[in-house]
Amino acid sequence: MTLKHVFLAALATLAAVTLTAAGPGSGTITGKITYDGTPAKQKPIDMSKEPSCASQHPTPITTETVVTGPGNTLENVVVYISAGAPDEAAPSAPVNFDQKGCQYVPHMLAFQTNQELKISNDDQTSHNIHPLAKINQEWNKSQPPGTPPIIAKYDKAEMIHVKCNIHPWMSGTFAVLKNSHYSVSDKDGNFKLPNLPPGKYTITAWHEPDQEMTQDVEISGSETKTVSFVFKLKPY
Amino acid sequence: MRKINISKLFVVIAILLATPLLGSAQDESHIGKVTGNEGRGRQFYFRYCWGCHGFRGNGDGENAPYLNILPRNFVAASFKCRSTPTGTLPTDEDLFNSIRRGFVNTNMPSWITLTDQNRADLIAFIKSFSPRWKTEKAGTPINVPAETPLTVQSIQHGQQLFQKLECWKCHGQEGRGDGPSASTLTDSNDQPIRPYNFAAGSRFKCGTTNHDLYKIFMTGLDGTPMPSFADVIKPEEAWDLVHYLRTLQIRHNSPELALWLTTKEGAAIVSAQRVSGTPTGSGVNQ
Amino acid sequence: MHSVDASSLTRKSFRVGPSLLGTFLTFAFLLAVGYPSSAAPLSAIKVHALPAFARKYGLPCSSCHLAWPMLSPFGQAFKDNGYQLGNDRDAPIYQSPAYWPVTFRITPIWHRENETNAGVDSATAPGGQTEASLTTHGFDWSGLDFHTGGTLAKNVSFYVLPSSDNTGAFHFETVMARLDNLAGTTWLNVKLGKFELDNLLSEKRILTLTNVAGVYTNYHYQPLTEVASPGAIPFVFGIGDNQDGLEVMGHSKDDRTRYSVALLSSNDGTPGLPTCRCYATFLTASQAFQVGSLGLQRIGAFDYIGEWPTYYQFTQGGNGVAGTGIGNKSYYRAGLIGQFFIKKYDLTAMYFHSSDNAYLGTGTPANQPLPVGAQKPVWNGGLFESHYTFSPQFILIQRVELVRMSQQAFQIGGGPVYVPGSDEVPSASFGNENVYAIAGRYYPFISSRAGFAFHGEYAFSHQSGASPVTGRNLDFSSLLAGFDFAF
Repeated sequence: MTLKHVFLAALATLAAVTLTAAGPGSGTITGKITYDGTPAKQKPIDMSKEPSCASQHPTPITTETVVTGPGNTLENVVVYISAGAPDEAAPSAPVNFDQKGCQYVPHMLAFQTNQELKISNDDQTSHNIHPLAKINQEWNKSQPPGTPPIIAKYDKAEMIHVKCNIHPWMSGTFAVLKNSHYSVSDKDGNFKLPNLPPGKYTITAWHEPDQEMTQDVEISGSETKTVSFVFKLKPY
Repeated sequence: MRKINISKLFVVIAILLATPLLGSAQDESHIGKVTGNEGRGRQFYFRYCWGCHGFRGNGDGENAPYLNILPRNFVAASFKCRSTPTGTLPTDEDLFNSIRRGFVNTNMPSWITLTDQNRADLIAFIKSFSPRWKTEKAGTPINVPAETPLTVQSIQHGQQLFQKLECWKCHGQEGRGDGPSASTLTDSNDQPIRPYNFAAGSRFKCGTTNHDLYKIFMTGLDGTPMPSFADVIKPEEAWDLVHYLRTLQIRHNSPELALWLTTKEGAAIVSAQRVSGTPTGSGVNQ
Repeated sequence: MHSVDASSLTRKSFRVGPSLLGTFLTFAFLLAVGYPSSAAPLSAIKVHALPAFARKYGLPCSSCHLAWPMLSPFGQAFKDNGYQLGNDRDAPIYQSPAYWPVTFRITPIWHRENETNAGVDSATAPGGQTEASLTTHGFDWSGLDFHTGGTLAKNVSFYVLPSSDNTGAFHFETVMARLDNLAGTTWLNVKLGKFELDNLLSEKRILTLTNVAGVYTNYHYQPLTEVASPGAIPFVFGIGDNQDGLEVMGHSKDDRTRYSVALLSSNDGTPGLPTCRCYATFLTASQAFQVGSLGLQRIGAFDYIGEWPTYYQFTQGGNGVAGTGIGNKSYYRAGLIGQFFIKKYDLTAMYFHSSDNAYLGTGTPANQPLPVGAQKPVWNGGLFESHYTFSPQFILIQRVELVRMSQQAFQIGGGPVYVPGSDEVPSASFGNENVYAIAGRYYPFISSRAGFAFHGEYAFSHQSGASPVTGRNLDFSSLLAGFDFAF
């Protein structure tokens, strides 16, 4: 399975590179994230200490450190251009990060350096948002119910683990990236990086807590290339 | 006339020559009128500090494995006791006060016996461990308005805030550090950490005064689960919370506790909280 | 009676008389010829440096010690706080149950001792005695100290120090408990037991180890005329010695201001009943201040006022009954101290002014008449000790001590030699003493677990008119090299 995937991916890449016709326009990189091995078993979350949240989950939910789909697809992988694309100024539109039912929505949030981050609390309980930044400055703020959103920015690229100390099961990630070419894999493991000008790129796929894979891709025109990543998962 | 010009020229040359020397890699700290020197601070660091904080300042000194609250990692440059908002660098004075005061519930002693100059020198050296000090400025200290009058209403309002802000989730309803989330807490090094037990002590991690207490919850203790409440508590309400928190320190004779005990409600609460005997002597007269 | 005899055996004060002094300093030789009872060789090394505390708190030696055993201001504050850092970890309940606060210290050495003009037997000389230069050298070791100290509970501290000389004969150098921070203030601490006086320059933390310079001469100096006549109780006293009593001391939170008041039984730290029903007081006060980047400067003063009995009220079988000494006569030791830091260089300067009552000064029981012309001896002293601390690992030490008699107990006259029992001294400068010492200590490692030092030292002393036959100067020199370690 693995070999086949790798072979197909390599073949696709090779084909893409050799068949590329020079020309203007912008290219697209798409692909699918799959995994090999056994993903960690997700544990059920006991929210009984927080009834206002527990009542929002008729069926008990589990942790989200690895979220998989049918066909060994892997969700919540951030795919981005780590080399080859220039740094970009942040878009003016903010990204939203919600606390809902004592969970982070989305679990994996990607955005750009200096882009406005809007953190809201939709719950009837106090949360504290504690992004454990190592490169950026760490901070930790309380957000009781009914308070206005917290607005924040990060000026350095970093994968930041976010947690709420009051509700220790809450866990999420901020992927702070230097350019707008990024995508987070959906439940089918699909990602798409559109609008790429011609050039040589390094594509990085990152999965929490610290798994990272890279591939080099060259875009020479308005073409679509397919790149796939296969993460090796261990059950612990 | 000519002579003067020549002597002026010499002065200018001398300054030009000296500038790179003065402005070389040496960091400085400024606390009031005292200017700390990195080079001197290095000597003191390797006399007093390295055993816990380590040769590289990253908190891995030879004694660190034996400590259950790890020594500060100066390379990460995240500090608990600040007068500045969460996520910003502390002022030199904040660090100076931390060294002077020590941390009551950790192995970090008070270095009050050092001279002001020694401490300023140490801070200049400590700042050399992290590049953050080169690229970022210290945060602007938060504004602490004058303390509002101490009244029973103020304490009662503080009590409501304690409930509303869910302080009890970690600190417990009696402030004993035994709330429902207390046992799950970890600091930013993934080390277990306990919330402050108000009932046992009179001193806080970051000082002893009401002013210090105000700053603790309005700036947060970065690197720990204690968040900043600056965005969610109005300054005048914050003093109410201060007044209430003082009444949780049932072994510390504060004006807040005295006033609280004069009320029927307060006296009942405090007498229920009081338990006799601290056989280790801990928490008494600290 | 026992207490008196025992005290004369165990005390470290060796300035009792030139011949006894010689006995002390050439102990190896004299042990061989049968003076074991009077020798307490090298037991003067009763210094305090406690890796036990370092282990408890995890701080390196260099935190509390400028160079161990000498304290830094931080270490002094730790001691003044009752061996507490003042955080939540002071009470023993926070220690690992296996932790027992014990430290031992011993010093294997090689040393060379020389005494000029020592009195030796001679078959040909008139009087059967002549003077010779005595030189001895060889390998040796110091006494062994077992320090235990720490807290029994928050704000209750203790210190017990069983200490042996290098023959293995043990005694208790320190036995005390202390109530710390009474009434919640650092200004009130009460200590009871046998302890070192709150000397601003601690003799127990001395950085020199030789026979000549292992104690501060000024702390033990007594005029050479204080030789007890028959029926009198020998007077032996040193403010460097640990004393039995009750001490109240206090200090500011930052330890800049310090005071102590001690009420002591005047028995020079001897166990058992005091020699007399009399007390002494010792007072100290000091103030430190910071001068820019130079460091902490301290100035202070001290005063010891005491009484000592001169004869026994009762005797049994010719021996005095313990505790019944009467005919008390007074004495005092007073002085000023300044400790100055100029970055890595520091200087301690002390001035001493001392006097003993004429009965004590002449060794006369108070129920007998004083010799004609007897008066109280008065003397002044100076001590200048400086250190250069290259780093926490290397320190150089230098010391000069001077003692100058300003008033002799007897009138000046007679021959060139002082004869005990006569009522004349040879000169106004008789007994004046100079001591010089230089030393270096290198600590190859600094840790929070144990201490180790290479120690090298040379010291010599010079006392006017003290040679026993010719009345020339009596000089001692001492060279020492060794390992000093504690765990």
